Amino acid sequence: MVEPIGSLGRGRSRRSRVDWLLVGAVTGLLILGSLAILSAIIPVPSHSHMIHKHLLAMVLGAVAFFFATGLHYQIYQEQWKLTYGLSIILLIAVLLFGETLRGSKAWFKIGFISFQPSELARIFLVVTLASFLSRRGSKIKSLGTILGVMGLSLPILFLIIKEPDFSSTFILFPVILAILFCAGANLLHLGFFLGCGFLGAVFTVLWVFFSIRSEWIESSSVVRYFMELSHPNVAFILTCLCIVGFSLLAWWFFVQLRIQIPWFYFVGMATAVIVGLILGNVMESQMKQYQRDRFVAFLDPGVDPRGAGYNSLQAQIAIGSGGFLGKGIFSGTQSQLGFVPERHTDFVLAVVGEEMGFLGNLLLLGLYLLLLGRIFQAARVAPDSFGYLLACGIGSMYACYFFINAGMSVGVVPVAGVPLPLVSYGGSNLVTTLWSLGIVESIYSRRYTFA
Amino acid sequence: MIRRELSYTRLDGLTTSIYVMTGLLVLRFLDLQVIRHSHYARAAERNRTQTIVQTAPRGRVYDRTGDLLATNQAAFSLVFLPGQIKDQDYLVQLSKDMAPYLKKNPGELLETFQESFVTGFPTRLAENLAPEVMFKLAELRTLYPGVDLVVEARRHYPHGNFASHLIGYIGSIDSKTWGRLRHRGEYRRDSRIGKAGLEKLFERELRGKDGGILLEVDAHGKLQGILRRMEWKPGMDVSLTIDGNLQRVAEESLRASHSQTGAVVVLDPRDGSILAMASVPDFDPNLFIVPQDEEVSARLRSLPEFNLAIQGTFSPGSTFKIVTAVAGLNEDRVSPGWKVRCPGYYQLGQRTFLCWEKKGHGEMNFLSGFSHSCDVYFYQFGLKTGADLIEQYERRFRFGMLTLSRDRQGFDRFSLPGEKKGLVFGPLERNRRNARWYDGDTLNLSIGQGELLVTPIQMANLIAVVSNGGSFWRPQFVERVVSQDGTEIYKRKPDLMGTVELRSETWELLHQALIKVTQEGTGRGVAIPGLEIGGKTGTAQNPHGEDHAWFVAYAGIPGQLPELAVAVLVEHGGHGAAAAVPVARKIIETAFKKKSHG
Repeated sequence: MVEPIGSLGRGRSRRSRVDWLLVGAVTGLLILGSLAILSAIIPVPSHSHMIHKHLLAMVLGAVAFFFATGLHYQIYQEQWKLTYGLSIILLIAVLLFGETLRGSKAWFKIGFISFQPSELARIFLVVTLASFLSRRGSKIKSLGTILGVMGLSLPILFLIIKEPDFSSTFILFPVILAILFCAGANLLHLGFFLGCGFLGAVFTVLWVFFSIRSEWIESSSVVRYFMELSHPNVAFILTCLCIVGFSLLAWWFFVQLRIQIPWFYFVGMATAVIVGLILGNVMESQMKQYQRDRFVAFLDPGVDPRGAGYNSLQAQIAIGSGGFLGKGIFSGTQSQLGFVPERHTDFVLAVVGEEMGFLGNLLLLGLYLLLLGRIFQAARVAPDSFGYLLACGIGSMYACYFFINAGMSVGVVPVAGVPLPLVSYGGSNLVTTLWSLGIVESIYSRRYTFA
Repeated sequence: MIRRELSYTRLDGLTTSIYVMTGLLVLRFLDLQVIRHSHYARAAERNRTQTIVQTAPRGRVYDRTGDLLATNQAAFSLVFLPGQIKDQDYLVQLSKDMAPYLKKNPGELLETFQESFVTGFPTRLAENLAPEVMFKLAELRTLYPGVDLVVEARRHYPHGNFASHLIGYIGSIDSKTWGRLRHRGEYRRDSRIGKAGLEKLFERELRGKDGGILLEVDAHGKLQGILRRMEWKPGMDVSLTIDGNLQRVAEESLRASHSQTGAVVVLDPRDGSILAMASVPDFDPNLFIVPQDEEVSARLRSLPEFNLAIQGTFSPGSTFKIVTAVAGLNEDRVSPGWKVRCPGYYQLGQRTFLCWEKKGHGEMNFLSGFSHSCDVYFYQFGLKTGADLIEQYERRFRFGMLTLSRDRQGFDRFSLPGEKKGLVFGPLERNRRNARWYDGDTLNLSIGQGELLVTPIQMANLIAVVSNGGSFWRPQFVERVVSQDGTEIYKRKPDLMGTVELRSETWELLHQALIKVTQEGTGRGVAIPGLEIGGKTGTAQNPHGEDHAWFVAYAGIPGQLPELAVAVLVEHGGHGAAAAVPVARKIIETAFKKKSHG
């Protein structure tokens, strides 16, 4: 970690109000991203229109950045009800009056500009949670903290998933967990919810995985029974009862052995497994066919190389073929000839990898790491716990975006429609991202309580 | 703020995990972009390029006069470029629409399309399209992305059914051969390969290097541009020793014979070059190249691929009397003046052996017995000579051996595949099979009946050796192979396989006898003024139908070495004199007419 500038102990007058390193990282990423976007959209007929939009978004983003830098961040804490209410209203409005683009009703279209309220909502959610958690004070370790966070998050998550925009929803889960973690929430509670979510995901993955291995289902009665659990039925209820009974038995057993383990561990474990099962069931029943196909393609890319696995494979080919130095900007065959899908948005890293090579990727990774480091540095030097939590939330949000997007590009995470903030093409995302970084700057610049 | 201290440890944990994950990402990038870079670079290259292969012209085949026997023509083929079309419905529609033009059934066509997808390679849908089909498809092409027309070189045999057994034909690679060839990289699944005759034998030389157009395509299979044109390299030209005129006359006269089946082999006895090798029925090798419809397929199934000249084995009949005579005379068992009365039959113990002339020939000495092919004379000549000796000479004249190949199995670079060895007949051979030899067998052996089996080329070889005084030149049919830059890769050299040493009196007497056959004996029909022609007729008894007619002859200008050795076999031709002699006569006439004119 970069040594906190505050600890250098120099005179206050020598300390800059602006974190130039963060600004530098942002500028670097924007330049890198713009180059990649430009290269990626050159073959598209309407590219001049897109370039205009991108330039406009950068200008708006810069304005938002400086505006947010200037605005005292504590205003968000005072006005959290307003921001929270605004995001709920916008999300409801988009469900009612929004434009449908690629199956998601997630856009407002106002003349030349289209705007995605979920992009705003993700920032407001972090603001809301930071505000809520900073007010918990000494009650931070109680269960109420987590329940409160869930109560605040679920309406927003629900509204975004209704659009439907699964990727934007699911990426918020780790963000919420990270804020809770940084806020100092009870690890046991966190572990419980993490366990529920993890089990839910694992069950779903296993069900999908087994469903493409029909020979396993036929040959093994265990696998067949496990597949039965993917729908609420007699076997499902029976299994839940068994889990409860088993944990009771285990508790009784330990009591007999005079080993002191609090009862709620057993209850917690049983509940986690059951909630995980139920979550898995919900996900299994809610999953769309194309999402299932993506899952299958991720679990077994050989199943259909020209089908769902195609995108991921082509992105990997693009990145791999770039080599150490890359093929040169505008010269990547995979990107220019359209083999890489969504190359200016979600798979922009593939363009960078192909045209700027390993060095280009290292530069991008380095800039991102610097950016994240500076955001967390802002968290460290924040004068109050709200600023600290806000910076932590924003930082972990971009960390999540970064790792999921990069992981998807190199084929270690299933294909999910997650952009790479500051690099991918997308106006709403760019403006809100720059705005949120402006908030971080605002925290950083007000790191002295007497400022 | 105690609580904040705790939170910083948590923040440190979070940042550490970010470092670790970034490190893992760097490793993954290193793996993709540096370690496995070449793999992905190839994959990217495969993605963006497609090749339309243009089949190179195969080498041309000439006869000894420079007449073209096999060449190439420009042809249009329809290819399918799989591209990135993923839509199954489109394929189904395409196969339905294309099927009527290509005379294929839609299901089969769809299978081809799908296979093409999996491999990602362009596939040939149809070759050698008729012009009217081509024009219709050229219009349709714009409607169907992924389908294109290509010009390429197509094999053409200008004379159709001409020396077809010798030249052979080309065809698609069967799956077994493909398994062997696929790793060589010179062939594609849809390449044509020599399947028989010269085309097969000289596949390596005749085959050129295919050219093609390397296309850059985008993800939708749309053409972006031409990356490179690869020039084709034509194959090497092969010149044959075959004389087109003689070959044509041989084939025509065989076709004109009343059974329309038979074989002719014409050799130059001075060096063994094959001047003609005809086997009828034959086929048109062009048939393998035209689009295959029902009618063509039916004809291909009943293709007469059997080369009678080297694969047909028959009793030599009376032509074998040459060997019997040489054995008896050379070993002094029979004197030429020794006389025998022929009453038309010969009694050996309880059995009666007939002469072909039922009236009988009267009193015969060697010359008259040979020229009239008197069986009774040769029965007794054979008994006097002894079967062991006859068999010995039979072997000295290389019966039961391959003629074209030095290798016992026939695995020889310059020998036509499938040549038969025939069957040796004699006491030794009998003994080897643990059976007894009877005097009756000696009689049969003497006149070339019984178990002895020979091929027409063996008989041509026999008469060639007789005419040149004992040199077994290996029959060769390739004069030279010339690469496209004019380098001579191969030039025929006469190849002496062995010799037969006989006393000069034997040779003289034998030549005298053979000439007498054509002057006043059974081969009178072949006599041409101004030429010295020696020959021997034969009739191979055929238990399954009419007898086969043989005639072997050599011809030359008197006082010079004979220039021509001919063996004619007309299946079911009846008596040799009637069916086979006219064929030989036409060939000899043609050969010397041209010579005197030229």
